[in-house]
Amino acid sequence: MARLIRTEKEVEGRFEEVWLVVEEDPLTQWPAGPLAVVGRDAVRKDGRERVRGEARYTADVKLPGMLHAVLLRSPYAHARVTRIDFTRALARQGVRAALGPGEANGLVEEPEYTGQPVAAIAADTLEQARAALAEIDVEWEELEAVLDPEEAVARELFTMETVRSERGDYERALAEADVVVEGTYRTSVVLHNSMETHQAVCEWIGDTLHAYVSTQYLWGVRDDLAKELGVPGDKVRVVCEFMGGGFGSKNGADEQTYAAAVLAKKTGRPVRCALSRREENTAAGNRNATIQKLTVGARSDGTIVALGGEFINAVGASGWSAMTEGPLTMLYACDNVRTVRYGAKINTPPMKAFRAPGFVEGTFGLECLIDELAEKLELDPLELRRRNYADSNDGKPFSSKNLMQCYDLAQSHWDRRDEVRARSDSTWKHGVGIASQIWFGGGGPPSYAWTRVGSDGRVTVVTAMQDIGTGTRTAMAQIAAEELGVPLDRVDVVLGDTARGPYATLSAGSSTTPSIGPAVRAAAADAKRQIVEIAAQRHHLEERVISIEDGVVKSADGNLSTPLEQLLELLEDAQILGKGARGPNPTGMSVLTFGIHVVEVAVDVETGEVRVDRVFAAHDVGRIVNALGARSQVEGGIIQGIGHTLSEVRLHDPETGRILTTTLDAYRMPTIADVPEIVAEFVDVPDEHLTNLGSKGLGEPPIVPIAAAIANAIRDATGADVHELPISREEMLRALEAAKQKERRGAPAAV
Amino acid sequence: MELLRPSSLQELDGGLLVAGGTEVVPLLRDGLLTAERLVDIRGVVPRGVQDGSIGAGTTLGELEADPSIPAALREACRLAASPQLRNMGSLGGNLLQSTRCWYWRLEYPCRLHGGDRCHAREGEHREHAIFANDFCASAHPSDVAAALLALDARLRTTRRELPLAELYRLPDESDRRTTTLDQGELILEVLLPEVQASAYLKAMDRKRWSFPQVGVAAARLAGGEVRLGLAGVAPVPWLIRAPEELDSATPLPRTAWKVDVARALVRRALAAL
Repeated sequence: MARLIRTEKEVEGRFEEVWLVVEEDPLTQWPAGPLAVVGRDAVRKDGRERVRGEARYTADVKLPGMLHAVLLRSPYAHARVTRIDFTRALARQGVRAALGPGEANGLVEEPEYTGQPVAAIAADTLEQARAALAEIDVEWEELEAVLDPEEAVARELFTMETVRSERGDYERALAEADVVVEGTYRTSVVLHNSMETHQAVCEWIGDTLHAYVSTQYLWGVRDDLAKELGVPGDKVRVVCEFMGGGFGSKNGADEQTYAAAVLAKKTGRPVRCALSRREENTAAGNRNATIQKLTVGARSDGTIVALGGEFINAVGASGWSAMTEGPLTMLYACDNVRTVRYGAKINTPPMKAFRAPGFVEGTFGLECLIDELAEKLELDPLELRRRNYADSNDGKPFSSKNLMQCYDLAQSHWDRRDEVRARSDSTWKHGVGIASQIWFGGGGPPSYAWTRVGSDGRVTVVTAMQDIGTGTRTAMAQIAAEELGVPLDRVDVVLGDTARGPYATLSAGSSTTPSIGPAVRAAAADAKRQIVEIAAQRHHLEERVISIEDGVVKSADGNLSTPLEQLLELLEDAQILGKGARGPNPTGMSVLTFGIHVVEVAVDVETGEVRVDRVFAAHDVGRIVNALGARSQVEGGIIQGIGHTLSEVRLHDPETGRILTTTLDAYRMPTIADVPEIVAEFVDVPDEHLTNLGSKGLGEPPIVPIAAAIANAIRDATGADVHELPISREEMLRALEAAKQKERRGAPAAV
Repeated sequence: MELLRPSSLQELDGGLLVAGGTEVVPLLRDGLLTAERLVDIRGVVPRGVQDGSIGAGTTLGELEADPSIPAALREACRLAASPQLRNMGSLGGNLLQSTRCWYWRLEYPCRLHGGDRCHAREGEHREHAIFANDFCASAHPSDVAAALLALDARLRTTRRELPLAELYRLPDESDRRTTTLDQGELILEVLLPEVQASAYLKAMDRKRWSFPQVGVAAARLAGGEVRLGLAGVAPVPWLIRAPEELDSATPLPRTAWKVDVARALVRRALAAL
């Protein structure tokens, strides 16, 4: 039954109170552990199409008569367009239309970062459009730019309100603590660098806009476009069947989509607008830099009594300020906590959500600080974490938490450290480090799915969700196959098109599987119920004795054993139709994911080279749907995190604010040669309070703890405290020198 | 734009010369080079290795796999770029590649572009030069040039024969070029003397596909002379004769770390001889 509820909705650590229509299903959760299909390894259903080049990405959409649009971007960090004249540009061969400031969402008169779009040109070819950009006559008035986040805070330039949180009596607890450790940690700007750049192809057919967009949220883009164009939502169809990566940067329409839609309307022709790699690495979003001043106070037995943090998010020209203090306020049992978070507005390209925004940065600071505390207390870092285990989230019970089991899984890998350290010689020092992970990932309603079972016994799952490259098609097929009792290869999944399925939520915030998986299961269960009813009537049996296993409809006494397709022959071309919805989240509970990484590193103390040799990861994300896909997800997160930790940094010119690292030789992501041995394990226990599935999301958790675990391993190997990401050779050599100085001064007095 | 494919040196008549295209094509795309006519010189420049002479058209991929090539050069090729790039990029082109300085690549009006200041010196310079960086702080990116400098290679061009060191010049107020090659002059061959032992070590911030943060080639020649060629430390490939010469480095605030790295690599490269 449909029910109207008022509930708290969370995406990427941002909460809002919303009205939701939810439907509850009567399904009880499956038993824990691997089942017939769910919980097993499944290769990607679309792997073949992808590697053979048959999968149609947005970048592959080429429509007859299609024009190419490009954006004119501000050469200044802050300026005003005082005059713009397209006469010369429009006179050029092949140029069909132009848009100036205010003529499409995202084209602005007062750009606030270098690279912000102010105008757009559409031409027959990309080359013609690019050449015409130089022919737009623009007069700029240059305005004052602020590029330093600390200056922005001092001048109270913010993109959103300052967030303060406090519990207990922080000052008093700190004063009474046996030891206090303080540290300042800095993280740099890093880029999503999706293989497929941000892009859209827009075409009007009659009064309906067909928008092919590389996006993580079909319905969000649909709403953005409908609003921009002043048309009803159903007059916008958004398609994204295959996706070349998003990582949080593709949650909305963005300027290239708006420009393509408006130019398509203006010219009556399909228009494509695709960012170049240089544009992608300038103005397509980023993980913002942070400055974190952290304090921990503890008793000599390791009990943490006070945690404090002052966080500056260098947000950029606009954007939201992610919950960087989240790990500090949530990971450990601590009664006295005080935090403040500033969202500094500076004239650099805006942040966008990036794979656990805030928590990646905040975990680096917190988990380094905790290890520094362990060192001061001469306590085993893993034991210190166990002693401060949180049983609730600020008084709110967890829907499920198996972090202790993650610690137990990690123990044998942590115990390798004497053996690892013993590999050290005069230049290469070896060590082991750990860091814990906490993040959201429970998803929520609403999301819907349909199932269709034909007389051939094949199952089609239909839902207008997106597979952003994480393997959603396969996971959803597994859930439907498990519920219906059919082999996985009998299930197809239709997704990626708002005109071909019901609403499903965005693929962000590790929410895809926990949000849409339960709807798919409910839809499959609805179809199964009907099949069982048909079998019961056809064979004069009671429904309760009938089951479907491996595609065969069976009765408990064994008298009935007929393949599904044989039973459904009577349908001819008709079909069994099932529908399902995502039920509500448990009320009054904190739904979170957990984990730990154990990292082995080697540091060349003469050249500052850091090599990650091995990573062990244990995560608790409820029920695992695709064991193979889950391990791949962990590998991907760790590799991306190693890049952010060691080699990636987006630099801007401190004078002009222009982005300097726009190409892939300058912005250095790991190559396959940089990938260490990765061992991934899961607790794999369903969250009994969360949906009919008990699964949480896994997209983000594996990138959260890796930087701190690497930094802590470096400390274990060398005694050096690294406080800044990336840990370049410069930072590594600085930290080694500082450690040497500290040793010369003598070890700090024992507490 | 037209593309010519001459089959003899006599047919060469202006235009922008291209061999593997791994350097020229990106510069064209970024507007740092412009040309109405491209000339594919692969039909006229020698390719292959013969008796201590290497055709300038030989690819880095071919050199890294050739056991007759001294270790420093082989290793410099192996550690350069990516396999795809090494299969296209030529030896001659590698010696002539432009700096990776982001200010130069983004067309800031810097000294190398004829302007009156070095933006890197006051700006973002963490990857820049530690020697001869007063006028221009760009760092020369060629691993191969550092190796050939250590190996005391000579070049034969369409006009002359010269030591590799004389191919390069530091830019100055009156002339912003970093090579001495004349308009239309073409490197044909690289000539290697007898070498007793050689090695190349390279600091990168990932394991593959990275220009040298610091590259150090060391070679002991037949007569016993030891030479060290450094990449990534000066606007041109940098020759030193002894580790002590690193004491005279003039690092910028954020490039001091490069001196430490160079010291370690020089020590190790010498030990490897």
